[in-house]
Amino acid sequence: MNTRIGSQYENPILAAPMIVFLLLLLGFPSLLNIIYSFSAVGFSNIRTPEFQGLQNYQAVFNDPMFWQATRFSLKFATLTALAECGLGLFLAIFLSPLLRQRPWLLAILMMPMMVAPAMMGLMYRLVLHEFVGPLPHYLFKWFGDSPAFLSASNVFTTVFVIETLQWTPFVLLLCYMAYNAINPEIKEAATVDGARPHQLLWYIELPLILPTVAVAFFIRFIDGFRIFDNIFVLTGAGAGGSTTSLSIYIYQTFFRAGDIGKALAASVVLFVVSFLVLFIAIRVLRRGKR
Amino acid sequence: MNGTQRFRKLAAGVAIATALAGYAHAEVTVLGWPGGPEETALRAAAQAYNALPDTAADEQVSLLFFNRDGFFDKLQADMAAGTDAFDANLLATYSIGRYAPFMEPIELDPGAADVFGDTVLETMQFEGEQYGVPLDLSAHFMYYRTDLIDALLEDESAHARYSAIAEEYLGQAMAPKHPDDWTWDDYVVTSLYFTQAVNRDSPVRYGTVLQMQNLLFNMMVFHSYPRAYGADWMDADGTITVDSDAYRLPLERYKMLLDAGATPRDSLSYEFPEANAAYNSGQVAVMLQWNGAAGELMDPDNAMHAENVAVVAPPAGPEGRFTHIHGLGLGLNENARNPEGARKFLEWLSTEDAAVIYARNSGAPGLTGNALARVADDRPDLVQLGEFASSYGFVMNGGTSASALSVYEAQAQAFTGYWAGTQTLDEALRNVERAMADLLE
Repeated sequence: MNTRIGSQYENPILAAPMIVFLLLLLGFPSLLNIIYSFSAVGFSNIRTPEFQGLQNYQAVFNDPMFWQATRFSLKFATLTALAECGLGLFLAIFLSPLLRQRPWLLAILMMPMMVAPAMMGLMYRLVLHEFVGPLPHYLFKWFGDSPAFLSASNVFTTVFVIETLQWTPFVLLLCYMAYNAINPEIKEAATVDGARPHQLLWYIELPLILPTVAVAFFIRFIDGFRIFDNIFVLTGAGAGGSTTSLSIYIYQTFFRAGDIGKALAASVVLFVVSFLVLFIAIRVLRRGKR
Repeated sequence: MNGTQRFRKLAAGVAIATALAGYAHAEVTVLGWPGGPEETALRAAAQAYNALPDTAADEQVSLLFFNRDGFFDKLQADMAAGTDAFDANLLATYSIGRYAPFMEPIELDPGAADVFGDTVLETMQFEGEQYGVPLDLSAHFMYYRTDLIDALLEDESAHARYSAIAEEYLGQAMAPKHPDDWTWDDYVVTSLYFTQAVNRDSPVRYGTVLQMQNLLFNMMVFHSYPRAYGADWMDADGTITVDSDAYRLPLERYKMLLDAGATPRDSLSYEFPEANAAYNSGQVAVMLQWNGAAGELMDPDNAMHAENVAVVAPPAGPEGRFTHIHGLGLGLNENARNPEGARKFLEWLSTEDAAVIYARNSGAPGLTGNALARVADDRPDLVQLGEFASSYGFVMNGGTSASALSVYEAQAQAFTGYWAGTQTLDEALRNVERAMADLLE
C-alpha cells in the first residue's frame, strides 16, 4: 500500500522543482505583464499602476505603427521561414552524400548559427558599409558602383538575406537528420519497383521529411516573427519605421516612449499570436501523424 | 560541529556582512558614463576629490560603471524601481525630465556660473531647479576640408560651375564663401558642388554625409539647421510649432541632398560612427558632426587628410547661427544611501579646480572665463566648444521635459520616413505634431 501511495506522489514530487521554476521565472512575470497591460503605468508610477480596462489594447490597435510593425513581422517571418526551409531542404538532400562521407563538414555549415544575432547585425553593419565594408569596396573596384544595401529600397532584402544565411543551417540540420532517418529498405523497394530518382524523391522521401520541414517552418516562423537583435543593431527601427518588427515596436514603446502599459499590451498580443501559431503547428503535426 | 558552534559561526557571518554593508553605505557611490574619455576624466576627478584633506572616510567616492549599450534605458528601469545602488548618477539634458521624479535638486558651488556659463548650466536644469553638475558638453561643429575649400575659393574658373549648381538647385546664383561665413544655403550648394553625381569633376565622391538613421541623436544634429530659421518645438503658450517653414525648408533640403547623391545612399542607416568612417575615407568634403568626433577626424594616424580638416560653427540662417547642445552631468539619486556625501562631492565637482582637473583628463566640459583660460593651452578644442556653446548653443523649448526623448524619437520616425519617401512632408509633420501634442500635453 505504501508503495502505491509512493508511486502516486512520485511524479508530482519529481515535477515540482520544474513547476516552481517555471512559475517563478515565467509565470509571475507573465501574470504581472497581463495585469500591467490593463493598467495606466509608466516609469513614474511603476509601483502604483491604475487599472484602466482595455485602453492599452485599444491604443495598440489604433496605432498605425503597430500595424506597420505587424505587417513587417508577418512578411519577414513568412518569407525567411519559406526561404530557409526551401534552401535547407535542398541542401540537406543535395549535400547528403557528401556529408555522409565527411560529417565534419556539417560542423562548418552550422557555424553561422553559432554567431549571436546581435553580433551578426554588427558584423554586417561593417561588411556592408560603403567606406569600410569589403563587399562595397570590391564592387566599386570591379564594377565602379555598389548597391546601397541599407537604403530604403534595399533594406528589407538585405535583412532578409542576412537572416536566411544565418538560420538556413538550422533547417539543413533538421532535414538532414530526417533524410538520413528514412529506412533504406523503403528506398530499395521503390528502386526495385522501378522508381526513378525524381519519383523516389517526390513520392517517398519528401512525404517522409515533410513533418520535419513543417516543424522547422513553424519554429523559424516564430523566430522570425519575434525578430529583434540583428535588425535592431543593423538598422534600428529603419527609416520611417521600415524595419520595425513587433519586438522592436514593443521595446521602443516600453523604453523610449515610457508607455509600459501599451508596450505590455502589444507583448500580450505577440504572445497570443505566437501561441496560436504553435497551437496550429501542433494540430497540423498530429493530423499528419494520423 | 554542534548547534552552538553553528550558531556562533552564523552570528559572526552576519556581523561581518553587516560591517561590510555599513562600510559600503559610508562611501559615495557614483554611477558614471562608461568607457571613453568621460570615464577617464571622472576617475581623475574622483581620485583628486578623495585625496583632498577635508574628504572624510565616509565621503570617499567610489565609481560604478556598466555597459553603454542601453545605458539610459537600464538606468531608467533602475531608478523607477527605487534603486539605492548609487548615490549620484549620470543624467543627460534630454532625459532630465524623465529622471527628475527619482532625483533631488542640488546646490552648485557659488562660482559655478563663472566656470560654466549660464547656457551650459541650463543643460542640467528642469523646471527651474538644478538637477546636475554639467560635465561633458556636446555641440556640433561643421567639419570641412581646407584643401578642397581653398582650391574652390582660389579657382575662379570653378565659380561659374558653382553658381550654375546653385541656380539649378536653389534657384539663385551664388558664389563660394569661406565656411565661417556660410549660410545653410552655402552649405547645401558646396555639398552639391563636391558631389560627383552632380559635378563630375569633383575630387571627392560626396559633398557631405548626413546622419539620417531613425535615431533620436540624429535629430539633435539636424536641429541646428531648422533652429537657424527660427524653429522651436513649442511657443511660449505651449502650442506645438513644428509644422512651420522653419522646419519644412531644412527637411526638404536634406531630402534634396539625399536624392541628388550628395550624401551616401545608405545615409538612412548612418549615425555617428558611419558618418565618421565616411569622412575619414577622404571621400567627403564637409560634414556637420558632434564635437566629440574632432579627435578622431583630426588625428593624422586615424584619418586620411586629417591635416586638412578644420572646424567652424554650424552655418547661419535668417535667425542667426545655432548649435544644438546637450550635456552629460551627475545628479543626486532620491534614494541615495549617502545623500550628504553625494551633495558635497557634486558641489565640489562644480568648482573651477574640479572642472580644470576634469578637462585636463580627457573630459569635454563647456567652460568659460578663467577655467577655460587655465586649460586653453592643453585643450584648444575646448576653447571652440566653450565659445560655440556660449555664443550659439540652444535647447529646444521642451527639450528637457519628461517626454523629450520620446519627442526626438517621434521626429526621427517621421522625418526619416519623409527622407526615405514613405511619407509626404505634410504627413510627416502632421504625425510629429500629433505625437508631440500627446507627449507634451
